[in-house]
Amino acid sequence: MSNFIAGYLPLFDLYCLHVGLALSQFIVLRAGVFSLATAAFAGIGAYTAGILAVDLGAHPVLGVLCGTLMGMLVAMVLSIPLARLRGVYQAIATVAFIQICLSLNIYSESITGGAMGLNNIPKTVGTGTLFVFAALATYMIWAIEKGRLGRAFNTIRQDEAVAASLGISIRKHQMLAFAISGALAGLFGSLEAYHSYAIDPRQFGFHLLITVLSYVIFGGRNSVIGPLAGAAFLIILPELARPLAENRMVIYGIMLILVINFMPKGVADTAIDAIKARRLTAKRGDSA
Amino acid sequence: MTSLKLTNLSKRFGGVVASEDVNIEVPTGKIIGLIGPNGAGKTTIVNMITGMLPVSGGTIHVGDTDITHAPAHEICRAGLARTFQNIRLLGEASVLDNVMIGFHRHETSSTLASLLGLPASARETKALKARTMELLAAFDLTEFSDYPAGGLSYGHQRKVEMARAVATNPNFVLLDEPIAGMNDVESDALADIFEGFAQDGKGVLLIEHNVRFVAKLCSYVYVLDGGKLISEGTPDHVLSDPAVISAYLGGQDA
Repeated sequence: MSNFIAGYLPLFDLYCLHVGLALSQFIVLRAGVFSLATAAFAGIGAYTAGILAVDLGAHPVLGVLCGTLMGMLVAMVLSIPLARLRGVYQAIATVAFIQICLSLNIYSESITGGAMGLNNIPKTVGTGTLFVFAALATYMIWAIEKGRLGRAFNTIRQDEAVAASLGISIRKHQMLAFAISGALAGLFGSLEAYHSYAIDPRQFGFHLLITVLSYVIFGGRNSVIGPLAGAAFLIILPELARPLAENRMVIYGIMLILVINFMPKGVADTAIDAIKARRLTAKRGDSA
Repeated sequence: MTSLKLTNLSKRFGGVVASEDVNIEVPTGKIIGLIGPNGAGKTTIVNMITGMLPVSGGTIHVGDTDITHAPAHEICRAGLARTFQNIRLLGEASVLDNVMIGFHRHETSSTLASLLGLPASARETKALKARTMELLAAFDLTEFSDYPAGGLSYGHQRKVEMARAVATNPNFVLLDEPIAGMNDVESDALADIFEGFAQDGKGVLLIEHNVRFVAKLCSYVYVLDGGKLISEGTPDHVLSDPAVISAYLGGQDA
């Protein structure tokens, strides 16, 4: 039995890391910003932590802290030019930002190790730490959803004119969403650096962007359960389909297409809506 | 007594003059009408007051606060609420949530409390929910509180929008064609609500097409045509003004 669990532990580690990144993507979408920069912020966090650990021998706590702050800082700076853009233009700009980070990373070989990446990062983060941080991040996003900020984010996402007419500052809230997103991505990027011995630039490129975005689209964009469920499905299902060998990615693709077509709100949000509708029907039945 | 005051307000789109030297004053506790035929520039005025369009000339004051060049979200904080010509609700959110966001400018819990889910944030959410339910009761909307706002009938959606505007606790309310597309029963129900606003001491600026509705409700009416005020006064005075009649029905040489 313990062998069975040990076999799946790396998968659970991956889940915890990717839940953090999925929440980082979730929170900007929630505030009505179509930013895809999470992959870049994660890379910035990972490299900040990695360089501190390898070159300066810094303590992991310091490394994770600096990685988080760096992700947040870069996100806040990036939010200034992005505030002038909307929708798909924001998406294009943030994809460009990921490419810029990737290129800078490869060219500044003396600092980042270039295409070879950073090696020999001491492994100091285990499953327990990852789980605690994933749980904390989930709690924070859940708390935001329940409070004043969640209400403001929802309004901005659905109708900016209404938000402004009710006194909600769009610029301020979107910058805050960016800061949270950057901090989360930086945090989980630096955790990944301390978890996996080595990091390389391509890890934080287009592929990660697509992976993280799929979690949110697959799971749902309205409830915090969405990214949790999305990451769980999309990480476990390819594992279950392992006997299909190289056809696994086909299963992944088919699932994504089916969900986008038949449950455009995502698996979790569709389920939540169905429960709500049933409750309302029951209530109407009682009063009639 | 404070008032919402437009002084020599002008808007030019390049060479096109959309409004010119418009002077309007809305005192608190009164319903003031702004009428005019299609294309007269009513919506331009609304958009300038609410900060959606930059002002070309003149000033807008709420009480002593100059809001001429204030961004849209600060105008609400000065105590001015609005409704939209085509109702704008958050369609998928429940009626309760739609009205609750109206309280935004009175929310006091810190950003940190909201980020960390501290008790202050939960207390505030609970208190706001209770206040929202009171407001819904006042608007006869209690039974719809859990339904998605987008599924309500037109008249009810308009009421939800009014409740949301009231939740900001404004001194002045700007109503942009509130009864467009409504039948007489629905518009009478809204008329009662507007009179309630005035009795609560709010100043109401009612922008409308429907001359009969305006004449019934307003104590003072401004008439706009071609971006200029062509008449003002009591409803009776305005409606018998030859300039107004010719603007609406066409002049003798038209």
